[in-house]
Amino acid sequence: MNIASITHSAPLTIFIVDDEPPARNRLKELLQDCAQHIPLKLLGEAANGQQALDQLSATPADVVLVDIRMPQMDGIELAQHLNKMSPPPAIIFTTAYDTYAIKAFELHAIDYLLKPIRQQRLLDTLLRARTAVKIQAEVLRKLTSQARRNLSSHERGKVYLIPIEQVLYLRAELKYITVRTLAREYLIEESLNALEQEFAEIFIRIHRNCLVAKKSIEGFEKLTEADTNETHWTVKLKGLSEQLPISRRQQHIVKEIS
Amino acid sequence: MPDVLPNFRSLGVILRIMLLVNGMVMLAIFARAASWQEGVQQIVIVSALLQPVLLSNLLLLFILHPLLAKLRYPQSIALVIVLVSMVTFTIQNWGSLLYIPQNMVNENYYMWRNVLSAGAITALLLMYFKLRTQALSPALHQARLQALQARIRPHFLFNTINAVLGIVRADPKKAEAALEDMADLFRTAMSHASDLLPVQQEILLAKQYLALEKLRLGERLQVNWRCENLPDDALIPPFILQPLLENAVYHGIEPLAQGGVIDIKFYKKDDALHLEMTNPRALREPSHSGNKMALVNIRERLALQFDIEASYTVESGADFYRVQIVLPYLKSKSTTNQESTADQAKYS
Repeated sequence: MNIASITHSAPLTIFIVDDEPPARNRLKELLQDCAQHIPLKLLGEAANGQQALDQLSATPADVVLVDIRMPQMDGIELAQHLNKMSPPPAIIFTTAYDTYAIKAFELHAIDYLLKPIRQQRLLDTLLRARTAVKIQAEVLRKLTSQARRNLSSHERGKVYLIPIEQVLYLRAELKYITVRTLAREYLIEESLNALEQEFAEIFIRIHRNCLVAKKSIEGFEKLTEADTNETHWTVKLKGLSEQLPISRRQQHIVKEIS
Repeated sequence: MPDVLPNFRSLGVILRIMLLVNGMVMLAIFARAASWQEGVQQIVIVSALLQPVLLSNLLLLFILHPLLAKLRYPQSIALVIVLVSMVTFTIQNWGSLLYIPQNMVNENYYMWRNVLSAGAITALLLMYFKLRTQALSPALHQARLQALQARIRPHFLFNTINAVLGIVRADPKKAEAALEDMADLFRTAMSHASDLLPVQQEILLAKQYLALEKLRLGERLQVNWRCENLPDDALIPPFILQPLLENAVYHGIEPLAQGGVIDIKFYKKDDALHLEMTNPRALREPSHSGNKMALVNIRERLALQFDIEASYTVESGADFYRVQIVLPYLKSKSTTNQESTADQAKYS
């Protein structure tokens, strides 16, 4: 795609996420400079991941400039949540220094900008943005050694962040996974096996279709089915009245945990 | 690193000498003794001579250290060995009635044997101190290098340049001030050769560093300085405060969305300087290894420069991190008395 073809399309909408005000300011100034070369529109800015997700689900942007090192939710996790929007925005990472991340970006041909950012480099990246390929979820997961701090659920155009420590259990149902917290249930589109791997320290598998948070296990109980007269173990979770069945294959956890 | 005489006024050196000398003598006695009882008996007899000789020598070296330290190394060690032998000879001579057994046939042999042993043990100890300094000195070289690297840590450098670029159009005055702070910081980092510098200079540098970080972090970074009871003439090793603060900012303030307060208490109590720095710490921040090197290095440098007279303790709570450093109080040259110039010399 060349500059000519871009100028005929709608302006590129851009959103900035960075926790440092001067860094956001710098990007805004550079975008103003770039606006002389390609039509673009700054949709907004956010100082953290939660703000960014809220604003972007209300007004989606074509391109999101994401700082990697941010408090609470880092840029990589934010990208994982942004990636699930439909359509996902093109994500461009910004960083001052992060040899590990940069190596990974190069390896997977992910766009990134080094701070201090040059106007020409930003312009080049923006010109490519529309045709950029979505970063694969597995690639994003590989970029960080840390597990996410939140799961994200998309409902009626809104993104809900579910802090991982609030999750009581994850249960696979058809093509979705039900995420249960004390307050309510959410649906997410992920694979239970991948979740089990990512959060191995937090959840334990009690059934082919179910992971429960280890710290919320209150106790185990043996139940007898009225009709078949078969007995099986169930797990009781703190603050939840329903009991979740443990499969025969996973029965060993009763001994291991209690 | 040139060879220097051990600092005979440092508690660590004095204790080491006492332990090593007594240890060597006891070993020699027990190697000869036929039974425990005989060994203990011999120790009591030998101690009657050994302890006065040892203590007198330590006292003499303590008094003469400023003069000895002015000599070149070969001359100073030669003088120390001669002094120790002379003291040993003199004490034996004065106390000959007490020390030389009545039935001793060869008085002269006994006398000269002790004087020579004293000289030999002194030479051994001096060699030990020399080797010890050599073993520890890479830490000092590394410290300079690391302190330099710490101050031009890429994370800090590029983020700060980016922040200055971010304000240069809107607030050119502020950007100018920031670049000046940066120049000062780098100049000091690149030029330092001395082992000690005035404490106010180190504090000023730390404040310039914090001003730069505040540019990026704004209200998130709060610093609470409390150094009312800190004498202006105090000297401290360079690159102690700034790496600690950088650690506090990187691991304590940056991961917290709402930021926090770095609390610095720096005061003189008795004859020591106490530095206490507390910073908040994010609950989920994984244990870090990045800047640990800088902190390990501060500890090594303190151990080398001040031995047991300095201490470094870390308290790591669930949501805070505290470093406590105790340093001997050294006065700067500006108060020109013999004492303080001597203090300067002994740590240089």
